[in-house]
Amino acid sequence: MTEVAPQVAQPKEKGVDNRKVFAFRVLIRFIRSIAVAFWVTVIAFTLIRLAPGDPAQSRLGPSAEPEAVEALRKQLGLDVHPVQQFFNFFRDLILNGNMGVSLQFDREVTDLIFTALPVTLWLIGFSVIISIFIAIPLALFVATSNNVFVAYLFRSSTAIAIALPNFFVALIGILIFSIRYNWAPLLGYVPSFPENLRFLWLPAVVNATTLVAILSRVLYSSIFDTLREEFVETGVIRGIGRIRFLWFYILKPSLSPTVVLLSYIMGVMLGTTVIMESVFALPGIGTELINAVLARDYPTVQGITFIFGVIVVFFSFFGDLLAYWLDRRVKF
Amino acid sequence: MSFAKFRRWMDEPGNSVIFTGTTMFVMIVLAGILVPLFYSFGPLDFVGEPFERPGAEFLFGTDQLGRDIFSRTFHSVYRDLGVAFLGVSIPFVVGTVIGIILGISKSKKLIGLISSIIDGINAFPLLILAVALIAFLGPGLDSVIIILALTNWARYARIARTKAVVVSQQNYIEAAYTLGYPKRRIIRKHVGPNVSSETIAYALSDFILVILLVAGLSFLGLAATPPTAEWGAMISEGRAYILNAPWITLFPGAALCWSAVSLAFIVEGLSRREGRV
Repeated sequence: MTEVAPQVAQPKEKGVDNRKVFAFRVLIRFIRSIAVAFWVTVIAFTLIRLAPGDPAQSRLGPSAEPEAVEALRKQLGLDVHPVQQFFNFFRDLILNGNMGVSLQFDREVTDLIFTALPVTLWLIGFSVIISIFIAIPLALFVATSNNVFVAYLFRSSTAIAIALPNFFVALIGILIFSIRYNWAPLLGYVPSFPENLRFLWLPAVVNATTLVAILSRVLYSSIFDTLREEFVETGVIRGIGRIRFLWFYILKPSLSPTVVLLSYIMGVMLGTTVIMESVFALPGIGTELINAVLARDYPTVQGITFIFGVIVVFFSFFGDLLAYWLDRRVKF
Repeated sequence: MSFAKFRRWMDEPGNSVIFTGTTMFVMIVLAGILVPLFYSFGPLDFVGEPFERPGAEFLFGTDQLGRDIFSRTFHSVYRDLGVAFLGVSIPFVVGTVIGIILGISKSKKLIGLISSIIDGINAFPLLILAVALIAFLGPGLDSVIIILALTNWARYARIARTKAVVVSQQNYIEAAYTLGYPKRRIIRKHVGPNVSSETIAYALSDFILVILLVAGLSFLGLAATPPTAEWGAMISEGRAYILNAPWITLFPGAALCWSAVSLAFIVEGLSRREGRV
């Protein structure tokens, strides 16, 4: 009566080549990613058709000339049968990497995305690096401290940090660090490597407050569990060196849930950076998305949404791979 | 409940945190009911000079148009928390039902189709999907509710499905079938409650996320738009004057933080009660 979750083949006897099993699992996981990416495409395609009434008419207003509406319908590819529309959309996207032309600027959507995407990726990358460097020592300290008070303080403060609205924290950060002390520039961006960090550090730190809280909580509970495993005791008895012990016996077996979560959170952060970029006026992909939404620039909205979906799918693919590398007990 | 009994209850792990969170939440909800009923200034009335400091006459000061911030902050409560409540409860019901159906269904085609739609929706960050859908539905709090109903159910459905698969393999379900109960009764009385306990736990923490999402979208000018009294929109309006009149931004921001943190305390206390520390 019930459906059992599909099991991936396990190595049965000792002679099985582990590399082959690994490659097989990666392949299965990759095919699943492609399947999800296909549905991402379908949803991105459906978006524009969810608008009540005719999108071309509603963009141009009720007083527009019929010829102009017809021309826009043709430009948006809405003048043919829906099945044909999906086929065209899919063909343009996959074979030609073409997502149409922006309605507000005379530019290809692909071009627009590739100019704006690096800013966003820098911001996310910088936030993640800051968070990792704070979250790992913090979680290690709290999990090994054996002090109930420290644990409660840690849990309460991280619970608060997760619940704080990041745009409000960002405004307070601007009030303190940009206006009061002038440590961070208020606006602007320079798209070259060492200089851009000057503009990115405050938004990255604000992003990191939430991220550190989420990551260290998960890492804390997995280290807590790992410390009760028998191999940790063995390691202590065998007198393994401190660094080796911390990495191989405590961190490496505990990291995989955090890595899986991190790859998921990096996707979620694509969403929160939309707000961050708007607060700090960074010319990233989130700012482009908001502008496109306010200008009803349908092809750009569709293109950016699609790119976000695909990035998330591949983040989670690589996150799962990394988790499996760290801990072979992980199933994916 | 006598005081001694209450003291003993508070000593159990997690309960004091739950008590703090619940008290905070009840306070903001009460303020949201009482202030609109009894306070003399309306949220859209121009009652004083612009940029008046917080003081005896205007508790939280006035904004750039001379509207009373105290009144505006607490008139936002039912809007923010109400939209978030609808945005959680509709997906909760829809997602749980779909998840249960998937968990006990035997049709491979149905399971394959719906779970790939679920994976597809979950692949997008919620905020991105919401922003994109607003381009097509138009800004407004009502579109936010529609959008959450359209997209957020997928997360509940994924959780409910996983749990339903586990529950339906349990012995007590087997026993219920053996006793000859109809399938409808088994789903309603045995599978349903066990699955929904799992999705309710998620719904509580999702409530925090959705409150922040509604305020965030309004902050971007995509949900509640000025002159509506709504925390995100008020913070966004006050941004330009943050240097000289920070109270325009700080009071609605504090109310938003207060609500989110109160719920976070409830979630934290519940997880401590279950001994997950």
